[in-house]
Amino acid sequence: MSSFITLKKQDSDFQNYLWGKFSSTERALPMTTLNLESPEETVTFEIVKKSDIKRPSAAITFFALIKFQNLFLILLPLFYVLAKNFVDNRFRDPFTCVIASAAMLFLFAAFNIRNDVNDHISGYDRVNIPPRGQYAKPIKEGWITASQASNISWILTLIAMVLSFPVMLRQPEEARVIAISAVLIIAGRLLSKNSYKNQHWGEVIFFILAGPGVVSGYQVALGAGVDTEGLAFGILWAWGIQFLVHLNNFSHILTSSQAGIKNTMTNAGFDKAKKILIFWWAAFIGLWIAYHYFYASIFWSYLTTIVLVFWSVPTFMKITEIQSPVGSELGDLKKVGYRNFLLMCGLIVIEFYWYLGNKNDWFI
Amino acid sequence: MNLKIFSPKDFPAYLPKLNSLYDDLFAGGKGFRSKLVQMVSNPLGLPAETQQLLCQTIEFIHNASLLHDDLIDRSQLRRGKPAAWTKYTPEYAVLAGDYLLARVMVNLSGFGNIKLVQFTSETISDLLEGEWLQDSVVGDFFVSLEQLDRIHNLKTASLFKWCLRAPFIAANNNDEELHRTLDEMGTILGQLFQRSDDLLDYNIRNDEGKAILGDLKSGYLNSFGAYVSRGMSRTQIDQMVKSSSLEDYYQCFANGEKDFQGFVQSFDATNEKMIQLYDHHLVNLEKKIQKPELIKSLKPLTEILYWRRKPKSS
Repeated sequence: MSSFITLKKQDSDFQNYLWGKFSSTERALPMTTLNLESPEETVTFEIVKKSDIKRPSAAITFFALIKFQNLFLILLPLFYVLAKNFVDNRFRDPFTCVIASAAMLFLFAAFNIRNDVNDHISGYDRVNIPPRGQYAKPIKEGWITASQASNISWILTLIAMVLSFPVMLRQPEEARVIAISAVLIIAGRLLSKNSYKNQHWGEVIFFILAGPGVVSGYQVALGAGVDTEGLAFGILWAWGIQFLVHLNNFSHILTSSQAGIKNTMTNAGFDKAKKILIFWWAAFIGLWIAYHYFYASIFWSYLTTIVLVFWSVPTFMKITEIQSPVGSELGDLKKVGYRNFLLMCGLIVIEFYWYLGNKNDWFI
Repeated sequence: MNLKIFSPKDFPAYLPKLNSLYDDLFAGGKGFRSKLVQMVSNPLGLPAETQQLLCQTIEFIHNASLLHDDLIDRSQLRRGKPAAWTKYTPEYAVLAGDYLLARVMVNLSGFGNIKLVQFTSETISDLLEGEWLQDSVVGDFFVSLEQLDRIHNLKTASLFKWCLRAPFIAANNNDEELHRTLDEMGTILGQLFQRSDDLLDYNIRNDEGKAILGDLKSGYLNSFGAYVSRGMSRTQIDQMVKSSSLEDYYQCFANGEKDFQGFVQSFDATNEKMIQLYDHHLVNLEKKIQKPELIKSLKPLTEILYWRRKPKSS
């Protein structure tokens, strides 16, 4: 027999239940949410004994929390920066770059956990419920409380900050990159109530941080300084990541719209959002061509562009064909789009591996 | 109670076919929604005329949706008789549905409670959104239960919410907390009703003799179908779609009917939890309003709507 409790936002216990601080032996799992993002927000929680929750191992919970599968989003720019600067003979301070990369990993993990905490507290994950088995949300499943997850996020942020000190000492220019990023992060927190992916300015800030920010940070840590090629790649990279964010938001367009969550997809509506997705990926291919025109060899420009365009056809077709803001096609589209993005990553790896090999005469 | 005529201007005799179309449509209905309205209205002491208006409103909206629904789905039968669009032409079926909705607005606005008019309009809007979305997933055999719940929340539960809330609005009780609780209860009743109705398709508790696998054959994967097919492979789903009888359907599972019955049991267990949630809201409602007779009559609804059995007399 389950027990439930319904609480309003104004209730003194509301935050305690949401953060999981109300009991040390029980967990409150949100069942239904009404009037999200309003003072009248009401949540009904199912109260479950901690011992009754089937929890995976701590390691699985941790990897699910930090979204281990998305780690490549910061590792690939790192690979790009290392390869590019090695080829350009600007590999000046590898030690600092290693520390900066470690800091980046901790920060990335902290951000992903913070994102889950924000989604839980704001209600984003309470209205945008993915079909069962798609991916686990440790806080929502009751494996960990929002409060515990938040603490882990702070610890990881702290470690990242500590690691950034030697980086700033060895490469003082890094302080500027970190300062700008910190200002953007704080601004993002103040501007966007639902995390960076759900508001216009939040999307812009996320774009700057995920692309030019990450690449510039690595570049400076390596002692190579910020350059236009790195920035151009950062913009290209951020544009690609933003495509994934738009895809994800598109897959929740109905529930997000009903809950009043604002982002580019919900503002555009179903029909226009499809056009925006097509435009976005087409523009990505345009940026890809432009980047290669200025900074890559003709051979790789033609080869990678042809492969990318060819591989993008199913994505464009899937977007065009999608008929419903609620059916299974949404999940299929996400998979196709994600695969397309992964292929693009693969092309970058092969291309830059070739440049590295060429410099070191690996292929002769 | 005469639901057809609330105002003398309802159903003018000079319009050809309209009256017989109405009589055909309403003849086979159980009028469950209007009974629910009365169940809530009586303890609130609403005058008979107001109750008649509310009952007419909900039955008109429901039947308008059936007229349009049958045409959209190309269903040949409604309540065992030829659907209106087949007997009276699609044009008349559309017009009759529109007419019912128009009369709802005429009569309700005459009642003078603007909140009730607004709430009713929102309900009709939700109903249409649900219909629209449902049409967009026809032929989608990979749709999830969670996704279908969103559609059913708009299409089916909106009317149950109306039945519970409208009498309170008509009685000028607009307490927000109260309406939130009623909203949650209406949502659960709607979901349970829909899920139970979907089980009939698989001949589960199908005392009314509903056509077997009707939804599946029309290209619509209903809530139970979505629940069962969650872990299925593409080949199994292809086989499921081609099923022309329950015996064919059982072959989609490794252990045939035994596995199928296991799914029925676990589906029931899932919905039992929803019933517990309903009871929780009922306790909250009891704290907010001092109407024991209302609580008593609302308590067995889950038994009637989901389990399709008469409640045990206390």
